[in-house]
Amino acid sequence: MELTGAIAITGLRSFLGTRLAERLLQRAPGLRIVGLDLRRPYRLEGSVRFHRVDLTDPTAAARVAEVLEREGVEVLVHAAFRRDPSPDVEYDHELETLGSLHVLHACSAVKVRRLVVASSTTLYGPWPDNPNFLSESHPLRGHPAAHNVRNRIETEELLAEWRERHPETDLSVLRLCWIMGPSHWDRVSAHFARPAVTTVLGYDPLLQFVHEEDALNALERATLERHPGVFNVVGSGVLPLSTLLRLAGKRSLPVPAPLWYRLLRWPLQGATGDPPEAFYDYLRYLWVADGERGWAAFGEPVYSTKEAWISFVSARRLRRYR
Amino acid sequence: MTDAEGPEPDLLRRALVELRQELEARLGGDPAPGSGRGPVDWMELFEGLRRRLSTLGMSERSGEVDEFGMDEVVVRRTEPLLDFLLERWWRIDLPGIEGLPAAGPCLLVANGSGLLPYDGLMISHAVARHHPAHVRPRFLVADWLITLPFAQPFLARLGGIRACRENAQRILQRGGWAVAFPEGVKGAAKVFRQRYRLQRFGRGGVVRLAIESRTPLVPVAVVGAEEAHPVLFKLRTPARAFGLPFLPVTPTFPWLGPLGLLPLPSKWSIRFGEAISLAHLGPEAATDELQVQRLTAELRERIQALLEQSLAERPSIWG
Repeated sequence: MELTGAIAITGLRSFLGTRLAERLLQRAPGLRIVGLDLRRPYRLEGSVRFHRVDLTDPTAAARVAEVLEREGVEVLVHAAFRRDPSPDVEYDHELETLGSLHVLHACSAVKVRRLVVASSTTLYGPWPDNPNFLSESHPLRGHPAAHNVRNRIETEELLAEWRERHPETDLSVLRLCWIMGPSHWDRVSAHFARPAVTTVLGYDPLLQFVHEEDALNALERATLERHPGVFNVVGSGVLPLSTLLRLAGKRSLPVPAPLWYRLLRWPLQGATGDPPEAFYDYLRYLWVADGERGWAAFGEPVYSTKEAWISFVSARRLRRYR
Repeated sequence: MTDAEGPEPDLLRRALVELRQELEARLGGDPAPGSGRGPVDWMELFEGLRRRLSTLGMSERSGEVDEFGMDEVVVRRTEPLLDFLLERWWRIDLPGIEGLPAAGPCLLVANGSGLLPYDGLMISHAVARHHPAHVRPRFLVADWLITLPFAQPFLARLGGIRACRENAQRILQRGGWAVAFPEGVKGAAKVFRQRYRLQRFGRGGVVRLAIESRTPLVPVAVVGAEEAHPVLFKLRTPARAFGLPFLPVTPTFPWLGPLGLLPLPSKWSIRFGEAISLAHLGPEAATDELQVQRLTAELRERIQALLEQSLAERPSIWG
C-alpha cells in the first residue's frame, strides 16, 4: 500500500522524532511530514511542516485533530514522551498519559489510517519473578516508584482500550528497550558513560540493548508498512552487566542496595522525582524482553546487544580524542 | 562481587612475570645445591601461582553468554571441580543413565533434596559427561535461591535458570534438556527426618509442560544429597532479616560459619528411570485437569519407587 497522505510525528524534537523524520525524508524525499511539538525543530526547518501544539493543554485534542484534518494525515507517530524522568511529576503525567489521551481523541475524530506509538520494555518492570524472556503478552507491572513508567503503563492501557473501539485503525505499539548508539543520549547512557559505573552489590543481571539504528528502522517500517499489534524491539543476545563493563574497560562500583537507596533518596528525588530504586532495580533484576515477534515483523536487528554497547562505548571514546 | 576489576590482575600478573625473570636470572645459572633433597622448583611454583591468580574471581570469562546467561568458559573452567565432586567427593553412582533418550528434548524430573542446588548441578554434569550427545541439561532453580544476592550471577553462569513455566518451555522448544524439581521450595526445605519422602508436586505444571511441548519425562531419584546438608531444624524469625524463607540449622552450618556451607561427603546415587512418553496425548490433554493430576501422581510414584530402590541398595550413608 503506497501512502498518499502525510505522516505526522508528535514529539518531533525528541531523539526518535527527529531521527525518524530525517530517515523518512532521506528515503522518500516526496513524503509530506508534519511535526507537532512545543518548539521549532532547528535541524528540520523547511523540510517539515511544523505546528506548535502543547499536548498538556486541555484543548489539545481539538488542536491536534485540526492539524491532522488540515494536513490530510494518514499515519501518526506518537513519540511525545519524556526522555528522562523530571522532578515535575505532575507535568510528566499530564504530558505522557493525558497527552496520549488527547492524541487518541484526535485520532478517533479524524480517522487516521495508522497509529504508531513508541513505548518501552521498561514497562514490564524489573521483578525477581520475571521469566528470562518477557513476551508481549506478559502483564506490564512496571516499577511502583518510577513515575514515567507508571504514566506510560496507563498510556498502554488507554491504547489497548482504544484498539478495541477502533478496529479500523491499525495501531502498532513498539516497545523499545534501552537504546545504545553513537548519538542517543539519556540518563541510562549517562550512567553507563562514566568510567566507574555503580552497580548493585551481589547482582549481575543480564541486560539487553537495542542499537539506535535498529530502533529507528523498526519505527520506520512500522510507519511505512502495516504492522498492527504490540512488538518488543530489542537487540539480539543478552550480556551480564559485569561482562559489559569489562568489555568497555570500565570499573564497576558495587554498592549495597539498602544503604545506597537510603543515601541517594533525597538527592535523586530532587533530580528525577523518583527514589533511586526506580533506576537501580533495573540493574538488579531481570527484565529482558523476547524480540522474536519484532524481528519477524521488522527484520533481524543489524546490531546485537554487544555490538550496540560497543558502538556506544567506542563513539564516546573517539569523541574524547577528537 | 565475583568479578575482579580489569587492571589489577594484569598488573599483578606482569609483576609476577618480572619476578619470575628475576628469579630465573639469579637461580637459573646456579646448579642445584648438592644436598640430599631436590631443590624447590621455584619456576613451577610461580607458574602455578600465576595460573591460580588468573582464575581468581572468574576474571577470565568469555564475552559471550547464551540467552539464559550460561557462560561456556566458566563451565569449562569449573569442570575439574564438578568432576571432583562427581567422582571423588560424593562418588556418585549413575544407574540407568544409559537408558536416557538419545536425541531430542527431554525433561528430567527429580526429587528435590539438599538446600543448595548441588543435585541439579550434579545431574546436569553427570548427563553432560555420560550422554553420547553431550547435552548439558539446564537445571531449574527455585526463586528464593536464584534471586539471592551473589547466588544469582554464579548459578546463571553455570547453567541454572529460574524455575518458571516460560523458561522451561523455551528450553524444551529449542530442543534443550531441563532438570525440574517439582516439589519446589517444599522439597529443599525438608528437615532430616522427612528425608526421601516426596512432597506435593506443585500443581501439575511439569506434566502439563511435557504434554504441551511433546517432551518425554524421565524420573530421576537422587539419594545422598539429603545427607550432604542434613537440616536438623529450621529457624524462621532470624531468616526474615536476610529475606530468606527460613534459616537452616545443620550439624555444621551456623556453628562453623561459612565453612559449614561445605557439603558432607555422603555417598550419592542418581538413578534414572525409564522415559515416560506423552507423545500420544494431544495438546488438549494439557487442559484436562484430572488427566494431568493422574499423570502427576504416577510420575511421583515412579520417583518414589526409584528412591526406595536406591535406598535399599545403599549399604550406609557413607557407602
